[in-house]
Amino acid sequence: MSLFLSAVTVTRGHGQTRTPVLRGFTATFAPGEVTALVGPSGSGKSTLLAVAGALLSPDSGAVELDGADITRLSDGERTRLRRERIGYMFQTGNLLSALTATEQLLAATYVAGEGTRRHRPRAVTALEEVGLGDRLRHRPDQLSGGERQRVALARALFLSPRLLLVDEPTAAVDRSQADAIAALISDRTRAHDCVTVVATHDPAVIASADTVIDLDAEP
Amino acid sequence: MFLALREIRAARGRFLLMGLVVMLVAALVGIVSGFTTGLGNDTVSALRALPATHVAFATGARSDQFNRSLVDETTVTGWRQRPGVEAAPLGVTITRGTTDRGLEIDMAAFGVEPGTFPAPPVRRGTGLDAARPGLVVSGKLAADGVRVGDTVTVDRLGLKLPVTGVTDDLSYGHVPAAYLPLDTWRDIRFGVPGARTAADRLPRDASGVVLRVKAGADLTAADRALGTSTLPMSKVLEAAPGYKGERVTMSSIQVFLYLIAPLLVGAFFAVWTVQRAPELALLRAIGASRRRLLSYTVMQAAVVVVAGTVAGGALALATGLLLGAAVPFSLPAGTLLATLAAVALVGLAGTCLTLRRVTTPDPLTMLGAAR
Repeated sequence: MSLFLSAVTVTRGHGQTRTPVLRGFTATFAPGEVTALVGPSGSGKSTLLAVAGALLSPDSGAVELDGADITRLSDGERTRLRRERIGYMFQTGNLLSALTATEQLLAATYVAGEGTRRHRPRAVTALEEVGLGDRLRHRPDQLSGGERQRVALARALFLSPRLLLVDEPTAAVDRSQADAIAALISDRTRAHDCVTVVATHDPAVIASADTVIDLDAEP
Repeated sequence: MFLALREIRAARGRFLLMGLVVMLVAALVGIVSGFTTGLGNDTVSALRALPATHVAFATGARSDQFNRSLVDETTVTGWRQRPGVEAAPLGVTITRGTTDRGLEIDMAAFGVEPGTFPAPPVRRGTGLDAARPGLVVSGKLAADGVRVGDTVTVDRLGLKLPVTGVTDDLSYGHVPAAYLPLDTWRDIRFGVPGARTAADRLPRDASGVVLRVKAGADLTAADRALGTSTLPMSKVLEAAPGYKGERVTMSSIQVFLYLIAPLLVGAFFAVWTVQRAPELALLRAIGASRRRLLSYTVMQAAVVVVAGTVAGGALALATGLLLGAAVPFSLPAGTLLATLAAVALVGLAGTCLTLRRVTTPDPLTMLGAAR
């Protein structure tokens, strides 16, 4: 399993105001490794995540997951791809306000059209693995920022995705929480042997990454 | 149901409020429906009880026919001779009387020929006898205190009628029905107060001719030959005073409630959908199909609408029980179920007005790229 982006170009705006966000970006991402995307705001980090995660189609280029170009997929096929093979951890708003920590993970199986009850023991284990064994019945408003990000990470990995996309995971947490989350992302990436791509400004996340791509340095 | 029920649980205050609104609308529709049926029964149950398919009236009577129409014996005989038709005269008029125990009553006097098919079945006592005057009263009059063995004196005429039997709870024009021989009815209809008119000097007319028609009978030709205008029973009901006006009034109220219900539910779910747009975007981002978002939203609406409607139905039934016999209220199970099903359907239709918004949140908004 690998992720390969070939000559990806994405532009934003219309007519005269149309500007490139990514221009001919090419890279290969290996399983079991964390790749940090760095660069100033507007350099295209989140856009690259959106393209890799089948949320946005590039203007040109190819995005190959397991050798298949996902830019050619229909809307329904991209939705299924996100559901079955990609895990997401966003900067904020990761969790559904009505659900407990355990139910956040079960929501992934609900979205996948599976029953939720039989997955409950596994959800408990997954939360224990990210250090939230004592927060199983807590709702988002009862969790700290770092705890919310850990729940999001556990949910992103719950259905064993081959690709984990993480957007500024430590932007809304304090230093000690940020270090813990950075370490957890690396740890879980190796444990699940998935391709992990993280858009970040955080030195702790950058330091824990196996590869760093500076988008500001891209042509 | 996983997400639908948990969201309802988390926002139970808002959903409870909406459920209460649906309940009140459903209760109001149920109550109006109960009054519609009750008033309808109060106006035409005596006509509905006639074991007939048609009634022939005099041609000139185009509305309130039981008051305006008069048909003579020749016409009745003519109808009786038509092939495929069973015919009997019927007289209807509203009058008042007083029992020998001093109870004042209003009664819709139905004059029938004893032994013919429009004569009522009797629950207590004996039926009408052609050989002697008598009165078979509605169960409603019996409930008011009229007993078999009482004598009712018709006001102004002084005509004395012994109560011989009690029939079902039938009424006409909001007045309890009372059945009596056609000759006696003619005394009431055509008699002059204060002056005894010999029976052979009274017109031999009736209000109309009640018909039981077999397939193939030519009613148009009969009407043309006999100078009558024949109406099927569904139209005959409209000949009762006030029936059509009441139906239109009550139906109008119901129609407006059926229009209000989907707008209320639709408005609630429109606001609810806007409030949770970020979470819908998250669900789309992690791979929820549009169909799944739609199905769980519809599920939520169904829970609120069905629960509210059932509670509203119970409230309508309770209201009916509290009102008792004080007002004309009738809510049979079939009517209640049909009414509640209609409320639930229009409520869910209201939700459908908002469904497009459920599928439109952009999953890209979850990423910093879109912020």
